[in-house]
Amino acid sequence: MPKNAASGENEVLYGLISRLADNKYFLGRRYAEWCSSAPTLESSVAAAAMAQDELGHARALYPLLKTLAPGLGAELEPETRTDFHRMRFLDSSFDGWIDFVTANFLIDTALSVIFEAAQTSSYEPLAGRSRKVLQEERTHALHGQAWARRLARIPETRAAFEASLRRAWDETLCWFGPEGKSNPLSEANVLDATPDTLRERFLAKVAPDIVASELALPVRATKKGWKLTTPLPWERWDVTRYRLDPAEEPVASSLAHD
Amino acid sequence: MSYIDEFAAQGKGEKAPGGETKPHARIQPDRIWVVLARRAYDQPLAQVGTVEADDADLASVFARTIYDEFAWVEMVVVPRDTLVTVIAS
Repeated sequence: MPKNAASGENEVLYGLISRLADNKYFLGRRYAEWCSSAPTLESSVAAAAMAQDELGHARALYPLLKTLAPGLGAELEPETRTDFHRMRFLDSSFDGWIDFVTANFLIDTALSVIFEAAQTSSYEPLAGRSRKVLQEERTHALHGQAWARRLARIPETRAAFEASLRRAWDETLCWFGPEGKSNPLSEANVLDATPDTLRERFLAKVAPDIVASELALPVRATKKGWKLTTPLPWERWDVTRYRLDPAEEPVASSLAHD
Repeated sequence: MSYIDEFAAQGKGEKAPGGETKPHARIQPDRIWVVLARRAYDQPLAQVGTVEADDADLASVFARTIYDEFAWVEMVVVPRDTLVTVIAS
């Protein structure tokens, strides 16, 4: 949080809106890079449409920052902003179409889970925008799920898709927020659930396709719903920037194999 | 690097009948869907185009994003291979 920023409850809201707007903005920019190079003409057009949607959603969210922290000046516009709160997976261009599908399937879905939780938000400007965003996100979800099933089905793409999903998996799940029953956003009714519940809702959306496609990710079905089979790497979680620090490279073991 | 280049670079291309390498041919959709839509309730559904996709979800997304020039009141997609020819052209 920069100096001259919001304080108290506004600071929590500023953080949430920043995370939503910045991730939407960079998701839109990354999608836009594939407007003319997706595997099919149809997906190129879909990428263009989804990019427009994401950038539009970001455009609708950034003005809220002005009401929460009017003294921040250049930090309130995406063109002049320097303190972005985006996921590490969106830091640079995708390595390939497979990363596009990973972002569409995991990150876009995670963002929608937050907007679903904000439809009846005590912060009305977010509630109204959430309902509109979700109308447009239905096609994004269909696109991500269908392509995920497809990449899992094709032997030549399956391993690369699994690797791409694993790169985004931990960060996307941590992104909902720290574990525990206490959370300022749910306590203030800005969101209707705690981060743990949001994670469960997210898993309920993505895990069925992951498990049905037998993709090797740490999630399984239980009687109470979908559960992670490995703990999340909270030791690498940057709670102020809402992103995961990179894992340390296993230098010693790689040298040993040389 | 595009998706096609990515797979060509990995040597995953398949040989076309003429001997030319056809990169990741299996990623190409294998079904054509006819897109039908109407702009008013008193109009019948009419074909507005086709999309290529290998399942109904993707076909719906593609139809919606490609043929979005009007505020349609209804749009459907039908697999072209399910159409039954009554009078051949």
